[in-house]
Amino acid sequence: MKLNLVHLYPDLLNLYGDRGNIMCIKKRLEWRGIECEVKEVLHGEYVNTDEADLIFLGGGSDREQEIVCEELKKNKKALIDYVENDGAMLAICGGYQLLGNYYQTKDKKIEGLGILDIYTQWEEERLVRNIIVNSDLFETPVVGYENHSGRTYIGSYKPLGKVFFGLGNTGRGDFEGVVYKNIIGTYIHGPLLPKNPQVCDYMLLKALRKKYGEDVELEKLDDEIELMANKCIVDRYSEEKNRVAEAIKRRI
Amino acid sequence: MSIKSAAAVSLAKFFGYLSCKIRKSKGQTLPGFIAKKIDGNILSDLSQQVRGDVFAVMGTNGKTTTNALLYGLLTKEGKKVVINRTGSNMLNGVISAFVLAAGNDGKLDADFACIEADEFASGSILPKMKVNYLIITNITRDQLDRMGEVDIVYDKVLEAVKNFDGTLVINGDDVLTYSLALESGKKFVTYGIDEQVFDEASRSEIRESTFCKRCGSRLKYNFFHYGQLGDYYCEECGIKRPEMDYAAKDIKITEDEIAFTVNGKRIEIRAKANYNIYNSLSVYALLDDAGIMNDEMIKGFAEFDFRNNRENVYHIGESDIQIHLVKNPIGFQQKVALIKKDESEKDVVILINDEYQDGQDVSWLWDVNFEELRNENIKSITATGKRCLDMCLRLKYEEIECAYDFDVENVVRGHIEKKNRNVYLIVNYTGLYSSNDMLERLKKEYEEGEK
Repeated sequence: MKLNLVHLYPDLLNLYGDRGNIMCIKKRLEWRGIECEVKEVLHGEYVNTDEADLIFLGGGSDREQEIVCEELKKNKKALIDYVENDGAMLAICGGYQLLGNYYQTKDKKIEGLGILDIYTQWEEERLVRNIIVNSDLFETPVVGYENHSGRTYIGSYKPLGKVFFGLGNTGRGDFEGVVYKNIIGTYIHGPLLPKNPQVCDYMLLKALRKKYGEDVELEKLDDEIELMANKCIVDRYSEEKNRVAEAIKRRI
Repeated sequence: MSIKSAAAVSLAKFFGYLSCKIRKSKGQTLPGFIAKKIDGNILSDLSQQVRGDVFAVMGTNGKTTTNALLYGLLTKEGKKVVINRTGSNMLNGVISAFVLAAGNDGKLDADFACIEADEFASGSILPKMKVNYLIITNITRDQLDRMGEVDIVYDKVLEAVKNFDGTLVINGDDVLTYSLALESGKKFVTYGIDEQVFDEASRSEIRESTFCKRCGSRLKYNFFHYGQLGDYYCEECGIKRPEMDYAAKDIKITEDEIAFTVNGKRIEIRAKANYNIYNSLSVYALLDDAGIMNDEMIKGFAEFDFRNNRENVYHIGESDIQIHLVKNPIGFQQKVALIKKDESEKDVVILINDEYQDGQDVSWLWDVNFEELRNENIKSITATGKRCLDMCLRLKYEEIECAYDFDVENVVRGHIEKKNRNVYLIVNYTGLYSSNDMLERLKKEYEEGEK
């Protein structure tokens, strides 16, 4: 088997260790003897969705996101078709915001891809902290770090999960991320995938099953260190005193 | 000097003394806090009393070393110099430095002041302080959860220098710093390294500003030093690495020494890491432009100990344990290069905490290339600290074996007991002071044991 991973604009969107997500996808395939080819689409280049089994769209600064938005407009239709035909895609932070109709920043409106009928509104206070989300897609909680000024309103779409600790989509601490067909959009960095191998494997399975049929299964890997790193954060915020300490720290 | 500010100084000093006694803390910020509460103009007042120039140092990496070098050269000349040490580089720390240097009558007897300022606090420090020269070392990716994206840091610094009327001393190899100097419209002098002296291990794939800050098009590079530092140009708007006012040429690097020529003067430093060329060069540029530099002073560079508090070596039992601070990807990458350069056998301990001062977000570990640690001279790597598991996981992705232990003392004791000669202890911010204290303690314990 072989998976083609398309990494959109790594030259523009490379914040918060996002390349760790690419490394994770690549390694978790290689560790199972599955070939992975990463195609980087750089600024000014055309996105060929026919060649993609999985698309990754990361986060960047507002300035860089604006450049990306101009670029993506040229590929809008192809990307919408890709998603509607069950193409797998993972979009994080800035990339997540771009899935929607628009991102209203402090002083301008950045038009999104319109793949999902959602939108994002800028607010002064940045939402910055560790985040833990319980998702019905996985047994293990999803852990990471959020750092965003945008509040994303997903309407009636299904969220990735319920926030156990942190602030999430709108800053209210209720829900985080979005799931639609074979897309996951989320604010969670960390980077997301290495400490959440369950999310990585979910995406891989979606991509491989689309390409090779529903009976594809993934070999189990030794995730001891991954799960310990994940649990370390979950345990920390499962203790009331640590949640309180964090809240106090944020006030002073 | 008003009665109010004299009172502010003496009260602040008193409480500073008390706090030192009670908390045995090294960082000093409380006197600044108190003095500022009593007299809002205290920083302006005290800095105006400095007879000569006040120098400030800002930038993501190299602030503390640069500032210490500047201070070292000036005090060697017998000058009285105010400095904020121990990384107290926010507003209260800066005020504290002046307050503690002043007499109880609020009078300051100082020829110069060397002040390190945090980029985020710069907006509250610069407008209130007399500053004649400001060094900007570089603007690169730092603690993203605290600082925000690099563009935010850029804007903060730009805003802070708005009312500055001295001279900027800037790293011309950094397109962001250079763009900032141009955009600010202030007077500036540039320094840079003309030759390619950084090896592959010092570079990382992650760079800021592959796109021009001025026009948004892709920047081209003739070569990179490390990070985004290098020989850049923009085909669209024409911005390019300038002809430097102070360029390091004829660079000669040996194991313990680096020598280079700047405007016909040969400077020698006893340092292992190549980035210290930048730290020395900026200090030379500043002192030369200010008309303070002389031939006698140049000799001072060779006498300066670059292994300050942040790069300290402890001899305990039969082990040499050297402690290094890392705060961001570029800094960590330089340490990876330093470890690689050391050809003797070694053990490496990496302590990663995630307190506020460290940056709670540990994702930056993924922006460092650790490949070069896959090296036969490295006998072991152990991750420690609150986020040791994250560090372990990061190295798993480089297929590098890494043990973990949440207790750093345990790890260090193990190395001493095994008589491992050469131990690198890489720590991030909150691990620095606690590790220094621990090593002091272990050192004493071993010395007493030998008697």
